[in-house]
Amino acid sequence: MAVITDAICSLCGSLCDDITVTVEDNKITSVERACILGRNKFVGMFLHDRIESPMIRKNGELVDVSYEEAIEEAGKILANSKRTLSYGWCSTSCEAISKAIQLAEETKSLFDSTANVCHGPSALAVQEKGGPAATLGVVKNRADLMVFWGCNPAHAHPRHMSRYSPFSTGSFRQKGRKDTKMVVIDVRKTDTAKLADKYVQLEPGTDYLYLSAIRSAVNGHEDVIPDKVAGVPKEDIIEVANMLKDAKFSCIFYGMGVTQSRSKYKNGDMVSSLISDLNQHSKSVMIGMRGHYNVTGFGQVATWETGFPMAIDFTRGTAYYNPGETGANDVLTRGDVDAAIIAAADAGAHFPQDSIKYLAKIPVIQIDPYANPTTEVADVVFPAAVVGVEAEGTAYRMDGISLRMKKLIDTKFKTDEEITSDLIQKVREIKRGA
Amino acid sequence: MSELLIKNAVVCDPLNNINCEKMDLSVKDGKIVESVSSAAKLIDAGGKLTMAGGFDGHTHCAGKINVGRFMSPHDMRMNPIPGLSGKVAPTATTRAQVGYNTPNTFAIGYRYSKLGYTTITEAAIPILAARHTHEEFESIPILDKLGLTLFSSNWQVMEYIRDNEPDKLAAYVAWALRSSRGYGIKIVNPGGGEAWGWAKNVSGLDDPVPNFDVTPAQILLALAEANEKLNLPHSIHIHCNNLGKPGNYETTIASMKLLENVKTSRDRQAVHVTHVQFNAYAGTGWRDFETGAPMVADYINGANHLTFDLGMAMFGPAMTMTADGPLEYANSRLLHAKWSNQDVELEEASGVVPVTYSSKNFVNAVQWAIGQELALLVKDPWKVMFTTDSPNGGTFVNYPEAYTLLMSAKKRAEIIEGLPELAIGRMALPGIDRELDLYELAIMTRAIQSKMYGMATKGNLGVGADADIAIYDINPDSIDTSVEHEAVKKAFSGTAYTIKSGEIIVKDGEIAATPEGKTYWVNATVPKATEDAMMVNLVQKFKRYYSVNMANYMVEDAYLPHPVEIKTEAI
Amino acid sequence: MQIVTLSLKEQNIVPIEADTITPDNFAGKSTDEIEAILVYYGNSQASIGELFNVSVDGSDSVENTKIIFDGNVPRVKRIGQGMSAGEIEINGNVDMHCGSNMTGGKITINGNADSWVGCEMKGGEIVVNGNGGYYVGGGYRGEACGMAGGKITINGNVRDFLGEHLCGGEIIVNGDAGLLPGISNSGGTIIIEGNTTMVASEMKAGTVVVKGNVAEMMPAFREEGTEEFHGVTFRKFTGDVNVGGKGVLLVK
Repeated sequence: MAVITDAICSLCGSLCDDITVTVEDNKITSVERACILGRNKFVGMFLHDRIESPMIRKNGELVDVSYEEAIEEAGKILANSKRTLSYGWCSTSCEAISKAIQLAEETKSLFDSTANVCHGPSALAVQEKGGPAATLGVVKNRADLMVFWGCNPAHAHPRHMSRYSPFSTGSFRQKGRKDTKMVVIDVRKTDTAKLADKYVQLEPGTDYLYLSAIRSAVNGHEDVIPDKVAGVPKEDIIEVANMLKDAKFSCIFYGMGVTQSRSKYKNGDMVSSLISDLNQHSKSVMIGMRGHYNVTGFGQVATWETGFPMAIDFTRGTAYYNPGETGANDVLTRGDVDAAIIAAADAGAHFPQDSIKYLAKIPVIQIDPYANPTTEVADVVFPAAVVGVEAEGTAYRMDGISLRMKKLIDTKFKTDEEITSDLIQKVREIKRGA
Repeated sequence: MSELLIKNAVVCDPLNNINCEKMDLSVKDGKIVESVSSAAKLIDAGGKLTMAGGFDGHTHCAGKINVGRFMSPHDMRMNPIPGLSGKVAPTATTRAQVGYNTPNTFAIGYRYSKLGYTTITEAAIPILAARHTHEEFESIPILDKLGLTLFSSNWQVMEYIRDNEPDKLAAYVAWALRSSRGYGIKIVNPGGGEAWGWAKNVSGLDDPVPNFDVTPAQILLALAEANEKLNLPHSIHIHCNNLGKPGNYETTIASMKLLENVKTSRDRQAVHVTHVQFNAYAGTGWRDFETGAPMVADYINGANHLTFDLGMAMFGPAMTMTADGPLEYANSRLLHAKWSNQDVELEEASGVVPVTYSSKNFVNAVQWAIGQELALLVKDPWKVMFTTDSPNGGTFVNYPEAYTLLMSAKKRAEIIEGLPELAIGRMALPGIDRELDLYELAIMTRAIQSKMYGMATKGNLGVGADADIAIYDINPDSIDTSVEHEAVKKAFSGTAYTIKSGEIIVKDGEIAATPEGKTYWVNATVPKATEDAMMVNLVQKFKRYYSVNMANYMVEDAYLPHPVEIKTEAI
Repeated sequence: MQIVTLSLKEQNIVPIEADTITPDNFAGKSTDEIEAILVYYGNSQASIGELFNVSVDGSDSVENTKIIFDGNVPRVKRIGQGMSAGEIEINGNVDMHCGSNMTGGKITINGNADSWVGCEMKGGEIVVNGNGGYYVGGGYRGEACGMAGGKITINGNVRDFLGEHLCGGEIIVNGDAGLLPGISNSGGTIIIEGNTTMVASEMKAGTVVVKGNVAEMMPAFREEGTEEFHGVTFRKFTGDVNVGGKGVLLVK
């Protein structure tokens, strides 16, 4: 029996690093401190839907094949494609992402992450205005005002509030929740909102207008604010603006309610401007509540290796970046690619219908530990080790801090990194042969 | 066992007192040796200028630069210096390249190599984010790297200073260097980062840090003492308070004076003051802004305890990035520019803001002059390290342009002619006719780095040194560097050969091979009892205030595939 | 006058990137020479002759060269990118970035133009007789300036972010505009005949006129009486106050 302490939970962007795991006979038998979501990942993994063998679709059915045969088939698909989409790579390690970038570069593919349907707009916002942020520990130690905007950590990031935010304690917040005001801004009263000191209900799709009004109030232009904006009375807008100005340190945590609502990345852009305005009065920062445990790492690695955080198009050899044109769903809904490789993410479950319909028409290579809706449209399937449980590697927390995930148990499966390396070799081999 | 014989090299090697003399260089197994066998591969340098590989002693190449990249897709397509910027498709040897001020990791490795550089120093590693820095180090091909660890607003540091615990402070510094795999102590706007935690700043050396009851002066003195106690190869490396503000030259001189009596444990400077251009401003505001370089240079000429680097500002777009959080916020408001910020719990602040130094803007024109004035007014080149604080004052691919400014009064005069009248009146540069020669340039770009970082195998071509060699396509015997500045610039923009650890990595300005570089770090040990006592406090910090566990904080061996560990013992 | 007529031999799926199709590149060239010019087709290059039927009538200077696309080219990007003079007429729908970075000449699109039409253009004229997509006259990601000069007329509707980061020039939309037209305008003029919403946010300078309805006004503009525009009286607003903007927004 082995007891592994300080294990990192590779489930969500909170990347809790205080987990104690007990392993008996190469099985995880006990998990301490993880939330229910994380616990399920650690102990539930053998209980559902593992892909057991490499598979190739033959006559419409996925059949078990040798690993070599699957690599051969996948290599052919990649080598013959005029334009491949390589998508996902967020529930995996930075080391695997780096390899995937090399594969995309060598096959002149498009390369995109799950941010395409999640926090991608946050990157666009940073590119407009910058990202005034801090690590989670800064917030834990200092913030006397925490705003949760369009996010619901009570469900999506269960330990966030106790580890980093209102229910944690810190150096200048010795009394924790009592030392902190909590504001929730959302279109519906979520379970997080029920814990707040103040809840602001916005009409759907009006975040941008509300943000602009808050800025007008913060910047001393109350006169231009009409009686109601985004369904919120003017007095209420001014009250929140004053809470922000009067706080010693405020943090706006924002989620997909902000990034995927009507004005998309312009919402995040406006949050960034608000933070800049607020720092004229008192300290303020913003942190995105990232979902997949290493979607932040994808953005980091892709940025240092290609110059861009996502939606990278190597079609013309050099890296080109233009979300709206080069994002996964941009090219799938238009039918701009003729093959796809989907790894460590489930496009089948998260993409719009049009994209999935198109995926069903083109050759798709899947790399994943689990069978999922993407498997339904896949033509070559590689089972992979579960990173963070069966394989070690680097992941980035939502605040940009990287941590090393441990290998907790042994596996017969290859890692994403190994499979991708083999694909690179195979494509080179085919091209050299040609 | 590989051997290389370089014949007819005209070698400028100041550490060995070789002033551009024709000689042969023998290389074996990555080192300079006395002689090689007749089987050695032969390179005929044909009288070309030959120096040790360049050594950038202060650049932002890993970590924070990624924040700059992330916010700058527009930078990725900039191509003002073809061959050294912009998008370049991959080849059989090289990966795809992008960018100018914030190029991708591959481009950083290739482009520095093309300029003849073989070693670079990342100037700012936050301890908590050190793993990230080393990931990028690993991704930068060819070059050897080292990094300076930030201690500017660190709670553990400030509390030990407040509580007068110098031994525990040294023990903590040793632990943090080990944890971050850093090479030395970097101090940025001491105390300012903590004040920035409340959107404030410290105003100078004696302005106490909020809630910690210590002053920036105390932080500098105590860390200098710890540095010497640990017998570190490098001195403390400081970015002074009040950077970027008119009138700050007084703070800069006061900071230098403050450290005059530091007793060094090694034969080197007691302090290195970085990118002084940004800290040599006179005037009381932007209206009466003028150069403070003559006052700073005067002081440095009379001092013998310090080295400094230039932080030259080059005209054109640049990207500022620093642990000086409040400065970057002020920049973004002043310039209406986009602003990224990253405060790091218990340790640091930081910010990133794009800027453009315009020759038409009077302030920018004076900044352009100040960096050069510092290089030319300080008489002893062994005090001066060449930098642009890349990419703060301009990205490193501008170095060849910068060298020629320092080497040609004629070139300077031609540019000054086109600057705003107002600016010319506020600078000292028009009255300076000194021109650096190639020997002095070699001191500032490789030799002083070897001395100030205590790296005897770098920055020189003596027997036993690393065979990191740059051969430039000009002949020192015949070229007039003050007149033929275009030819000099061209030669320094792409070497005839760059050799790294005995391997040819650049030939005729093109990348020939891309081996992986090494990472240097310092492992300082203190008596176990002192370390144990320190750990009691540190454990509490992790338990109560950090958002990661101590076990997951230290950089693991996996992130340094080619480490070079320098061991020191506390005195 | 030189007239070059192109039509797709076969409708492509993977996009063609045709930044080489400009009057600047075609002027004075024969059919053979034009057919030999390369475009990007997916991750490899193909010659124009492989993909298009080409006919050339006459030979003349750039100014007097006209390129006509016979039929739809909805998967051909970057037509007319960077052109300095001459004319392009597209008798159908066209893909993204048509006329981006152009400095002169005229492009007429007798169909719909996909996103980024006239992106970062500096001079010349684009007329779209159908609808425009997103970012008409916008800029590349992260840039401070989109269109800086010239004129774009869209006779149909446009989608979101019309004239984003406009630094100069004029855009006229005769139909409706989607979200946030004129965002971050720093000196250009936008006239929208139809309806729109959240107009001129973060405008620093320039003019935006909306003749139809504005569904939601940005709460960052100060009303300052009325102003006449083309003989009609509008309510006048200035802002965006949050960027110290001096822009003028005229609405009904």
